Amino acid sequence: MNCGRTRQVIEMDPGEHTVDELAEEIASIDDVETLESILDAERGGDDRKTAKEAIERRIEAVGEDEPTEDGTASADDVDGGEGSEGDANETDDDAGDADETDDDAGDADGGETSDGDTGEADEDDEDDGLSHPTRDKKHVRALQGGDYEDMWVFCETQAGELTDVSKEMLGKARELMDAYAEEYGDEEDVVAVVIGEDCAELAEETIAYGADVAVFHDDPRLSRFVHKPYTEIAAHMARGQGSLESTEWRAYDEPRYALFPATNNGRDLSALVQAELDSGLASDCSDLFIEDVEISNPVKTGEPGVKKVFERVLHMKRPDFSGFEYSTILCLDNPDRDFHPQGASVIPGTFEVPEPDPDREGLVVEHEMELEDWFGVEVLEHDQLDEGVDLTGHEVVVCLGRGIGDDPTLGMELGLELTDAFEDAAFGITRGIVTSSYQFDGHVEAYSKEERQIGETGQEVAPELYIAAGVSGAVQHKVGIDDSGTIVAINTDPDARIRDFSDYFIEGDLFEVLPALTEAVESGELPVEALADGGIDR
Amino acid sequence: MSANGYEEFEAVVVGCGPGGAAAAARLADHGVETLVLERGVEAGSKNVSGGLIYGEKSAPYTAEELFPGFREEAAERPVTETYIHNVAGDRVKSYDLTDIHEHDTAWCEAVLRRKMDSWLEKRVHERTSETGGGVLTDVRVNGLLRENGEIVGVTCDELDPIRAELIVAADGVNSELARDAGLMDWEEPEEWFQGVKAVVDVEPGEIEDRFALGEDEGLAHLFSGDLFEGVRGGGFLYTNESSLSIGTVFHLDSLVERRAEPHELLDALLTHPLLAQWLDADYDEREYAAKLVPDSKKVALKEPYADRLVVVGDAAGQMQAQGPIIKGMNHAVTAGALAADAFAVTRGNADPEAAGRRYATMLEESGTMSKLRPRRYELARTVGERDLVTRAVEGVLDSPVGRLALGNRLADRALERAYNSPYLVSMLPDTRTGYVTVPTIVGEQHGRPVTWENEVEPPELIDRIGDLTYDTDVGNPHIELLDESFEASGAAVYACPVSAEGFGGGCYRAETVRTNGGEETLVSLDTQPCVECGTCAVVADTDWEHPRGGKGVEYRQG
Ligand SMILES: Cc1cc2nc3c(=O)[nH]c(=O)nc-3n(C[C@H](O)[C@H](O)[C@H](O)COP(=O)(O)OP(=O)(O)OC[C@H]3O[C@@H](n4cnc5c(N)ncnc54)[C@H](O)[C@@H]3O)c2cc1C
Ligand SMILES: Cc1cc2nc3c(=O)[nH]c(=O)nc-3n(C[C@H](O)[C@H](O)[C@H](O)COP(=O)(O)OP(=O)(O)OC[C@H]3O[C@@H](n4cnc5c(N)ncnc54)[C@H](O)[C@@H]3O)c2cc1C
Ligand code: SF4
Repeated sequence: MNCGRTRQVIEMDPGEHTVDELAEEIASIDDVETLESILDAERGGDDRKTAKEAIERRIEAVGEDEPTEDGTASADDVDGGEGSEGDANETDDDAGDADETDDDAGDADGGETSDGDTGEADEDDEDDGLSHPTRDKKHVRALQGGDYEDMWVFCETQAGELTDVSKEMLGKARELMDAYAEEYGDEEDVVAVVIGEDCAELAEETIAYGADVAVFHDDPRLSRFVHKPYTEIAAHMARGQGSLESTEWRAYDEPRYALFPATNNGRDLSALVQAELDSGLASDCSDLFIEDVEISNPVKTGEPGVKKVFERVLHMKRPDFSGFEYSTILCLDNPDRDFHPQGASVIPGTFEVPEPDPDREGLVVEHEMELEDWFGVEVLEHDQLDEGVDLTGHEVVVCLGRGIGDDPTLGMELGLELTDAFEDAAFGITRGIVTSSYQFDGHVEAYSKEERQIGETGQEVAPELYIAAGVSGAVQHKVGIDDSGTIVAINTDPDARIRDFSDYFIEGDLFEVLPALTEAVESGELPVEALADGGIDR
Repeated sequence: MSANGYEEFEAVVVGCGPGGAAAAARLADHGVETLVLERGVEAGSKNVSGGLIYGEKSAPYTAEELFPGFREEAAERPVTETYIHNVAGDRVKSYDLTDIHEHDTAWCEAVLRRKMDSWLEKRVHERTSETGGGVLTDVRVNGLLRENGEIVGVTCDELDPIRAELIVAADGVNSELARDAGLMDWEEPEEWFQGVKAVVDVEPGEIEDRFALGEDEGLAHLFSGDLFEGVRGGGFLYTNESSLSIGTVFHLDSLVERRAEPHELLDALLTHPLLAQWLDADYDEREYAAKLVPDSKKVALKEPYADRLVVVGDAAGQMQAQGPIIKGMNHAVTAGALAADAFAVTRGNADPEAAGRRYATMLEESGTMSKLRPRRYELARTVGERDLVTRAVEGVLDSPVGRLALGNRLADRALERAYNSPYLVSMLPDTRTGYVTVPTIVGEQHGRPVTWENEVEPPELIDRIGDLTYDTDVGNPHIELLDESFEASGAAVYACPVSAEGFGGGCYRAETVRTNGGEETLVSLDTQPCVECGTCAVVADTDWEHPRGGKGVEYRQG
């Protein structure tokens, strides 16, 4: 028999039963894999059509049941949590959030957890008496009227160091909780979470950056991010599970607020942990503040026509899907169900790295937990990819220079819009921007880094069409674009050096010319191909 | 290799400019195993001077004595005539300074540093190789190695730490070693000059025609007066074999105070009618360069040593500005050689500071120290430099009586004498009066109008930067701006020789940025165009180091 699978040892040979007996027998089996193995056994044995149909029907029934079971589809809860913020805001926010939320949910779904979850939830609800590796796991599901305190910061480490974004979040959390204490008179803590190998010192370090309490879990198997154990540990910590010594510093159910880095791993972890804690997530945030808010939505207030003030609400600002408008996301409790921790992931570089204060004092706690068999995924080999952005190999490159200085964020937005208008375009910048002190808003900040620099000490590009706006054309920039097909320059200064090597020179203000160009490209008025060929007369 | 795994030499010399070269050559002469570390790709690739190198009759050493063949092979042209021009608008009064020039001068040669220093490097390598050492280029020393708090060697970006019985810091102005030893700080602009220079190409054979010179003759022209926007300092023009060195040297505090742009001051000189006789529309600039210059009167170290470390040349502030005449290279040579001699006689002494103390004594006894820190100046300065006095004197000079006094015929002769008196020149206090007011009045009262049309169009800063050679240490900037507020670091936007107000392609740029609510002027920094002059180490709030070995700007002329 081919049924010695991991999940359940099958003692049943379908061949020993009549089809009717078989149907009765399998009616009590809820595990798809088990059923599938019975089906296999039938195929390999008698291969009766009716028997196979009976088993298939049962598989279908079980499959349909799953998502409707209570608490199984974590993604739904994420939706629920996040959907609520729209209530407090204008509709276009709603649209943006919904999109983004779906993304996050999609992530969680696509990952292995949702499978796992599904199975687990089943087992929790209906004990089939079979041996499930995770069936003894007990955790608090969606709370109601729970106690919440503190702001938790999930720190990311890299090569044995706290990443900048971790420090940035700690600094911001410190600022928020200091203001919180002043506003509400409650001293609550900034709690740093550090998970990894040899991370006790890093936990110490988080104190210097603003944490009051640092909780760490140290295990050599955690030297790099693996989502299953990381998620399990983080959730375990957040729920206050573990030995008395490691949890006696706190007296609440779950954190009030949670911050994650919006990095590759942080995005992964944030979606998983927030789902595990049955709350929502506002991803990729670029600003945070805490305020009371008055809500009239009956889903939240419990009664139509009644307004209710929600206190101490974390307002999480994030760019909407177009990237140029902001939505403020709120994560509010329902009357019969809490959505805590109020969680956000934060775009790196959004906040300042604070000055560390080595004299700050705080509590460092080692978290204790038996790590189970969560290391099914093993990293056998790894390769560091070339960092950054490849600007080569595109039909069009749009490049901005210091001409955006009057309103750097707007300038970047206009440049990005033009880039998006083309089918295959990349977005680059001059060194002048890379090294500027311009204060970019969070959503364009990432585009201002060295990885997008074009020129002698940056990347060399050779697109068919190169559009340079507010770029003077210094020789060190020129050498990076010399092999481009057609060069179009937009500059207010008719004597700008770039004019000497441009095919088309538009004397004008990029803040006016770029939107006009974008419109022309989008409406098809601007014959890009012809431009790129240099074939239109001027 | 010593027991603890460090590389070990008897002596390690940091820097292969004239100071380091002299020290290393002399150490080798004494049979000392000597390693020379130089951060440039070749000695000279980082260095700038005006540059006239003097062989002083009174000096214990000259470059020619230490390196036979130096004048013939490493230098450009001897200086056979010297003039100073006092400029007031388009009126110019010139004086022949050949007398003072020749005072105590055995010989004087115009040099270009890439050629000179690389020639020295070869000689030094030959000589130090014979005693078990040699010259290593592309190595930047980044600090002192200490054991139990005592200096015992150096640490480098590229090599393991090196121990030595003698450490010679000949690493020039902005010496990271002198700073590390606590001997120098880079705080006060009053203590430094900034020199900026253009090397201008001239067809071979043209120099003789334009300047009416024979093959083995050369000229030095000095300029002062009102052509520099009231900034204290002056200009120079020296003849090389087939190029001209034209530059300016200003008090750094004055540059900062006046918010002057160094490249514009250089341009003011280049485009002055007076220079039309030597330059034409075919102006072709080979290289633009700049460097800080210490003012020995204020910073020459009285005790240029600490433990086994001795400091020589610009690193020890041994750069003498004798009125308009600048002497740094010759003193670096003297000091380097004396430091080596001091080590030779104290070798084996258990006291680690024996060599240093001996070296300081030798600087005194040879008369070098009194040239660097003249007692007369210390006295004159106490009255002369005070603002009140300056203003009072300026007031008188500016009055009709004062002008009359400077303007009469007698004064004219007295002035020429005064300029040619080493005593008077060394006493001229460093105020506007000496640098600007007197020369301007002299120009006005005695000068004749110069109305030649100057057709020179100097290159813009963007092209000057573009023409330089850089090996950029991408992602590893050597200067970090600590305070980006305009108050703290704004002076660098003007004073940095490759930055300018309104120029986005320089190192320092002032930017108006909107921060939550308000508007603020911030300063940003890109180190890629940096010529490593050291200015912003003094005038801005930075964490300042030199680039790693072989990285950064590479001068071809110097
Ligand atoms: C515009 C201008 C005009 C001048 N005119 C004259 C003039 O006419 N006559 C005159 O005598 N002087 C003149 N000077 C001054 C003169 O250039 C200096 O006084 C002289 O170069 C000092 O010699 P030095 O050996 O002490 O230092 P430098 O010549 O500066 O040599 C220092 C050496 O150390 C190396 N170095 C530095 N740091 C490190 C490190 N960390 N690791 C390894 N290597 C390092 C450098 O690359 C360099 O090769 C002028 C200077 C300027 C800027
Ligand atoms: C060794 C070295 C390596 C370098 N490597 C690189 C490199 O790899 N890549 C690189 O880019 N640079 C490099 N640089 C820097 C380069 O020299 C220039 O400083 C830089 O390219 C200038 O950037 P910019 O054109 O954005 O700024 P700027 O030179 O300041 O030019 C801004 C331009 O915008 C125009 N403008 C202003 N307002 C407007 C408006 N409203 N609308 C339209 N136009 C406007 C102005 O007229 C001006 O022409 C290097 C420099 C050095 C020394
Ligand atoms: S950045 Fe500083 S060291 Fe570099 S050239 Fe400018 S002033 Fe000089």
